[in-house]
Amino acid sequence: MTDAPLTPEEADDALAAEYVLGVLDLAERAEAEARIRRDPGFAARVGDWEARMAGLNDDFAEAPAPDLMPKIEARLFPQAPAPARQGRGFSFGWFAGAALAAVLVLATVATLAPPRPEPVATLATADRRLSYQITHFGGTLQVARVAGVPAVPGQVHQLWIIAPGASPVSLGLLEDKPLVIDYPVPPPGFIFAVSIEPEGGSPTGLPTGPVILTATVGETT
Amino acid sequence: MEDPVAQLIARCAAADRAAFRTLYRDTSAKLMGVLLRMLKERAEAEDALQEVYTRVWLRAARFDPAKGRGMTWLIAIARNLAIDRLRARPEAASDEGLDTVQDATPRAETRLIAKGEARRMADCFETLEPDRAQAVRGAYLEGMSYHDLAARHGVPLNTMRTWLRRSLLKLKECLDA
Repeated sequence: MTDAPLTPEEADDALAAEYVLGVLDLAERAEAEARIRRDPGFAARVGDWEARMAGLNDDFAEAPAPDLMPKIEARLFPQAPAPARQGRGFSFGWFAGAALAAVLVLATVATLAPPRPEPVATLATADRRLSYQITHFGGTLQVARVAGVPAVPGQVHQLWIIAPGASPVSLGLLEDKPLVIDYPVPPPGFIFAVSIEPEGGSPTGLPTGPVILTATVGETT
Repeated sequence: MEDPVAQLIARCAAADRAAFRTLYRDTSAKLMGVLLRMLKERAEAEDALQEVYTRVWLRAARFDPAKGRGMTWLIAIARNLAIDRLRARPEAASDEGLDTVQDATPRAETRLIAKGEARRMADCFETLEPDRAQAVRGAYLEGMSYHDLAARHGVPLNTMRTWLRRSLLKLKECLDA
């Protein structure tokens, strides 16, 4: 083994390996993640290292996991409407049946009409100098900046959704293009928040910078 | 090669919630094992497990079966989250796990012989000096940082970094041969 300095290629490859191993500190890690996003060549090196190191994955022994699916689903899938109750007698059943029929008719009409973006929430500063509009359209949430400027270079606005009583979940980074996320219509009471994060987004999976905007689902202007 | 986990992830990308439940049933014990080994605390590992599956659902469309197996992709998500959390901990706390590093290694060695891919890995680890091979393993399996590794091996951080980078490139040469 020689002690000659690494070539630029070798240095890139070593950095990709260090990222996959996880030995970098928080700042270096955030930098490597930002590079994965903007540099497909580097992202490919990271992918190659993940595959290379997969031979060690057998060393992770299984451990029984509790059934956390109900909590995960509550976070991801906002509550579906409760099913119609049974056993309230004939008149209620008839009423429910008629109501269901009406809903079906409306649903049919709704599917025939072209889908329209539905406003979900507006995230804005009090003076409206910075404002993001969130709409739901065709199974996606769409988030567009309608006033103001992006974060300063080296930083980024990150969007979070927070279910009641749960931790924030990142929905993505707000840059110049509108952000489009596959997501159901969030129910009332869920909160959107925007925080300022280092370039590439929060390194921890939770907001680390100041939260500059919040809005509850249903708050639109 | 048959990859049922990859098929389930593809169905998650198509918003199939039943497939998501099956994926959790079939893979959560492995990912819990990863998170427990790295984070060392059950409550935190369980919290991280929720976050991992949330990410899996939201990112399922980005999984490319041509680039690797489904389980490899899931473990990468779990490891990355665990490492982010470990690095976000105050520095002093990260030294606590050091004592547990050694014990898993011999068992690991025997199990590695079982499979072709893993065997190749074991053979290539043989080409490294034992303490450096152990540093690579400690980082991958326990989430040790350069700071942890330098303290454990009693060398300056920069020396550790030079060692490890050279070892990784050597490992690559062997694995890709």
